[in-house]
Amino acid sequence: MKLLLALIRRDLALMAGRPGEWLMPLAFFLLVALLLPFAIGPDVALLARLAPGILWVGALLASLIPVSTLFALDSADGTLDQLMVRGIAAETLAAARLVALWLGFGGPLLLAAPLAALMLGMPLPMLPPLLAGLLAGALGLSALAVIAGSVTLGARGGAGLVALLVLPLAIPMLLFGSSPTEPGALGLAAATAMMLAAVAPFAGGAALRASRG
Amino acid sequence: MAVAKPKQQRLVLALAALAVMVAAGIVAIFALQDTAAYFKAPSDIAAEPPAPGQTIRLGGLVKAGSVGRSADGLVLNFTVTDMKADTPVSYRGIVPDLFRENQGVIATGSFDASGHFVARELLAKHDENYMPPEVAKALEKNGHPMGAGRPT
Amino acid sequence: MRFPVLGPIPAMAAPDLHALANPLRFQRFATALTPWLLVLGLAFMTVGIWRGLFFAPPDYLQGETVRILYIHVPSAWFAMGGYLGMALAALAAMVWKHPLAALSVRAIAPVGALFAAICLITGSIWGRPTWGTWWVWDGRLTSMLVLFLLYLGVIALIHSHDDKARGLKMAGYLAIVGTLNLPIIKFSVEKWNTLHQPASIRLSGSSIHPDMLQPLLLSALGFLLLFAGLVLVRMRTLIAEQRLEMRAMRRAARAG
Repeated sequence: MKLLLALIRRDLALMAGRPGEWLMPLAFFLLVALLLPFAIGPDVALLARLAPGILWVGALLASLIPVSTLFALDSADGTLDQLMVRGIAAETLAAARLVALWLGFGGPLLLAAPLAALMLGMPLPMLPPLLAGLLAGALGLSALAVIAGSVTLGARGGAGLVALLVLPLAIPMLLFGSSPTEPGALGLAAATAMMLAAVAPFAGGAALRASRG
Repeated sequence: MAVAKPKQQRLVLALAALAVMVAAGIVAIFALQDTAAYFKAPSDIAAEPPAPGQTIRLGGLVKAGSVGRSADGLVLNFTVTDMKADTPVSYRGIVPDLFRENQGVIATGSFDASGHFVARELLAKHDENYMPPEVAKALEKNGHPMGAGRPT
Repeated sequence: MRFPVLGPIPAMAAPDLHALANPLRFQRFATALTPWLLVLGLAFMTVGIWRGLFFAPPDYLQGETVRILYIHVPSAWFAMGGYLGMALAALAAMVWKHPLAALSVRAIAPVGALFAAICLITGSIWGRPTWGTWWVWDGRLTSMLVLFLLYLGVIALIHSHDDKARGLKMAGYLAIVGTLNLPIIKFSVEKWNTLHQPASIRLSGSSIHPDMLQPLLLSALGFLLLFAGLVLVRMRTLIAEQRLEMRAMRRAARAG
């Protein structure tokens, strides 16, 4: 437990030093919210109705950004090897990354979401369920990022490959999360995210081990 | 730093993952209790009338004997029922093959200011029964009309 | 230096004789079985579809359109079943490290993707006249599309790793995670009111008239045998390909 906390703290400190993993996704997310009104036109009612969906798609696409550096940097400079040689299970490393990403990517995202919602003129009563959905969604998206980041370790293919791996698995969450006022949808979004989060450390850990050859 | 053996770390994580999975299962079961249906039935609408102009999907069976056309023949009028409540619908457009009395339909549209449901899109839903026409006729003769009595 | 898992390397043979012997026996077994599977599969499928198209009665409600059932339903079954098989193979490869299990992930994926594509296309053609739409974004249809995309993801992941053994492992983990999608497909029709009708064939019996069920089952058997046959063909190709690479490597080693 202490080990996990130490690793999470390390990962968060690293993230703070790599704005590409949290500031870029954040900027991307806000830009999506900013661009859509231009693309759709000034129909306020339409924008307000589309807002939850736009924010979800923005969050989803933003979550793809940190994937490529998630484990690759630690793998390239040998940190990953070092930690594993010292008896830290790959699963623990993956779990720590998952939690760190949830806090480091999901936290700023949740703070930015009300701003983005305002920009799109979303009715205020929609905001709490949307934020609850995004909180769960950020967990699920972080889990998918950990899975995608570890299985593509050492692969060619880049962003397109990551999108192909992450987006299909994110569809159920998107479906439930982007209509958070429907009865039961929030619960299902949370359940899907939790399932992914439960699996991610093991899939990620196994892939990290396989990446060492 | 004293570190637990990798095996122990994995065990702790596995227990945590199991707990999360169980929690997810419980959340899912509760969520499924009042889950979002693909469409609303007429009795849902009677219980909770949606605002005029709000787009909803209305689903149910086409009430027998309710199908008619407007004088110019362009607008189809019929009643959707779930055996508990009825909602009259009008629709202007191409009607799918399977649109029949006593068969399932899903109409996407909204209520106008006078409380009449105007469908923009009309989809037919069929059931999981497949049989030749003669068999269906025989069943009907014996008092088991297909499609009726089962609110989808 | 990493050694590819399969193929006879005299110097390396001692530690994993077992894993080495099995692919050879498998190769013989597969060579004998493949033509039977393909021929019988084609035969059953042809008879099933032919009887479905020309002899089975039309549906009381859908009329002649129902006949696409004889292709749509089997492809849906084995797209899902194939995915389950692929995930189980990946699990077996992970637990027992058996090289054939890892290889069968690669063998199954494109065949499963093909079946999923057939299911989506025929379903769409069927949906237009009966429901009145090519496509709706409901649980059943969407989750089948997700299944198709998962197959594509597995294939893409295998090929994006230069180290083939590693690519297979990574794709296997992805396949296992993807099984989370299967229950969603299954329950989407049971729990939601979707546009798609519920399953007609369950443990408790079938709601398809026997005259229509019989060609369906024949066609399904054909699809199953064809699926297995195509997977075996791919397995043999992949094993042969690995052997060739081995030979080239050995020759290079001897020359250098």
